[in-house]
Amino acid sequence: MTTIVIDTCAGKDQGTEALAAAAIASLELDVQLVVVGDEDKITEALLGMAHDAERLRVVHAADPLPVDLDPHLADRQAPRSSVAVGLELTAREEDAIFVSAGPPGVIVSQALRALGRLPAVHRAALAAVYPTLRHRGPNDDPFALLLDVGATIECTSAHLVTFAAMGAAYASKISSVERPRVGLLANGPTASAAPPRIRAAHARLQDLHPGFEYIGLVRADQVTHGDADVIVTDGFSGDVLVRTLEGVATTAEALLRRAQERFQWRLGMQMLEGGIAKLREFTDWESYGGAPLLGVDRPVIVTQANSGRRAFVNAIRLGAKMQRLGVIEAVAARAAAVVEEEEEAT
Amino acid sequence: MSEWMGSGHLLHLRWDLDKTYLRTEFDTVKDLIKTYRQKAEDKVAVAGARALLQALLDPHERRQRRVTFVSGSPTQMRAVLTRKLRLDGIEPDVFILKPNLQNVLAGRFRSVRGQVGYKLGALLRTFVGAVKLDEVLFGDDAEQDAFIYSLYADILAGRVDAVQLASILAACKLYRSEVDEIMALHGRIFGSGDAVRRIFIHLEARSPLDRFAPYGARVVPIYNYLQAALVLHQGEIMRGRDIVAVLEAMSQAGYTPERLANSVQDLVRRGVVAVSDVERLAGELGAVEATRGRTVSTFIRRLRSTAADLAHVRRKSPEWLTEINYLGLYHEARFRRQRHRFLGIPLLD
Repeated sequence: MTTIVIDTCAGKDQGTEALAAAAIASLELDVQLVVVGDEDKITEALLGMAHDAERLRVVHAADPLPVDLDPHLADRQAPRSSVAVGLELTAREEDAIFVSAGPPGVIVSQALRALGRLPAVHRAALAAVYPTLRHRGPNDDPFALLLDVGATIECTSAHLVTFAAMGAAYASKISSVERPRVGLLANGPTASAAPPRIRAAHARLQDLHPGFEYIGLVRADQVTHGDADVIVTDGFSGDVLVRTLEGVATTAEALLRRAQERFQWRLGMQMLEGGIAKLREFTDWESYGGAPLLGVDRPVIVTQANSGRRAFVNAIRLGAKMQRLGVIEAVAARAAAVVEEEEEAT
Repeated sequence: MSEWMGSGHLLHLRWDLDKTYLRTEFDTVKDLIKTYRQKAEDKVAVAGARALLQALLDPHERRQRRVTFVSGSPTQMRAVLTRKLRLDGIEPDVFILKPNLQNVLAGRFRSVRGQVGYKLGALLRTFVGAVKLDEVLFGDDAEQDAFIYSLYADILAGRVDAVQLASILAACKLYRSEVDEIMALHGRIFGSGDAVRRIFIHLEARSPLDRFAPYGARVVPIYNYLQAALVLHQGEIMRGRDIVAVLEAMSQAGYTPERLANSVQDLVRRGVVAVSDVERLAGELGAVEATRGRTVSTFIRRLRSTAADLAHVRRKSPEWLTEINYLGLYHEARFRRQRHRFLGIPLLD
């Protein structure tokens, strides 16, 4: 049976929402849940939550993890943090998944150490989903994948090619797209204007026959159109891009709230209510579940720092789905195939 | 009040049937019809319930044990339910069913839905006035078992007098005849002794645990019957080999070692069972391990690792309460039900 390990020290309300999500999942899903955090606090909070104690185990982790902690110092400063203990448990169980809203840098570095990289993968990538205008796959999935969004800040062209393979494997499993369309984020449609690593990755991806469709270079303004099912970039640009998209959504939300100030605007808003609700639903990040960390030997889902219970429940569902569909195995196989093809070519 | 039974005491076991002993669905009319038409052979006991009750009714101690079933099922189901219990090897001393048809014909519709008047009356009527008496009650969270059982226990203990009881019954909107009968029984039984040792509430609906905190330590919400067996083992009512019987029954019903171990951990974290009790049980089970299968050895391993994981836990046991605000609890539960009925807010919230 799948085991979901949940870090309950991060997320909205100091992790209470993560615990509430675990309680909901214990009632709704056929999985084993391991909640990691301050045992005292967890037990007290669980008293007030409907849950199934048969499916829920509590593991104590005492060391608090400051948000601004340098990931490289986390091991020394918080050796028994919920992230460290949770990943240790995930490594021990074969069918385990780790879900956390902790600092992404700490999760990535500790996940690499505790779980290890997949054989053909040299760098891990955090993959964020975002809504696009074009839907894909038999499930009419509106989400496309953007990777990396912060795990590997500096990438070589080889890393980007591996990210493309991993992202395509993930998309083909999760969104059921047979040949995902993969694009490489750049500053224009022509390779000559792009930095050397992008040019090299572009050239390699054009030459490969990796089981996905490479559609070439994609500008940032094309990301939300949905022409690409997977957009590949380095961790630095990916983080900037995804935060820009989030910032735009937050600003739009703030503008909508401001429009409530005047009576006429409120009236207008009432008339547009249906459309606004759809827009809200479209940009509601809590329904996405979280960002899977691809390239490590177990499913690891990183959710936003202010995730509520809905985001956690969706992350748990995503993790269970990844396990059920054998996403990690698919990612490993696709990455290995690309590396092999490249080696043969050289 | 927390002491368990003394030697030579009569142990009176009180069981609810649906959702406590039997896995029953009666949330919809369709479920009700299905349950009514089900044969005895098709009825299924909650995992571990049969093994637990059989262990408690061990033939060697049967003379000192008494079992009464008080069920909300209609009297028309007596034959099939009696047969089911017989198939499970259980012969109740008393088996009370609800006269729903009579209630309908008499136009007493509140009695059809309500449980307080029926169950409290039945418990009081079947009270056995032994000098050395202990009672253990089993109910569930689908109805008002924790409320009714605790009220019964406090009447026996002399903590709910006639005035208090009358105001509680008035709030519950019982019919006059029901009130008269209960008040008369109260007059006879009031202050007979603090005999109720534990009230186990099977969390069929998975209600939050804190909903039972106002009843104090006497009420023990349980997720399964292994938990009840562990508490009874702690009270020396059950032996190690009885735990093995429950364990094996639950394992056969599909319980994984993880689920069983989690159940033990839950009890320890709540302070219902101490780490030292778990260690003691692991030692006791170790003695029978060689004669049993893998289930027991896996469970012992899990017990030991649970004890080691929770070695730091020094949880205070839940408190025994001498005063329970029954009126407040009744209104709170009523408010929750109405909020659910009229506003659609889930009962578990």
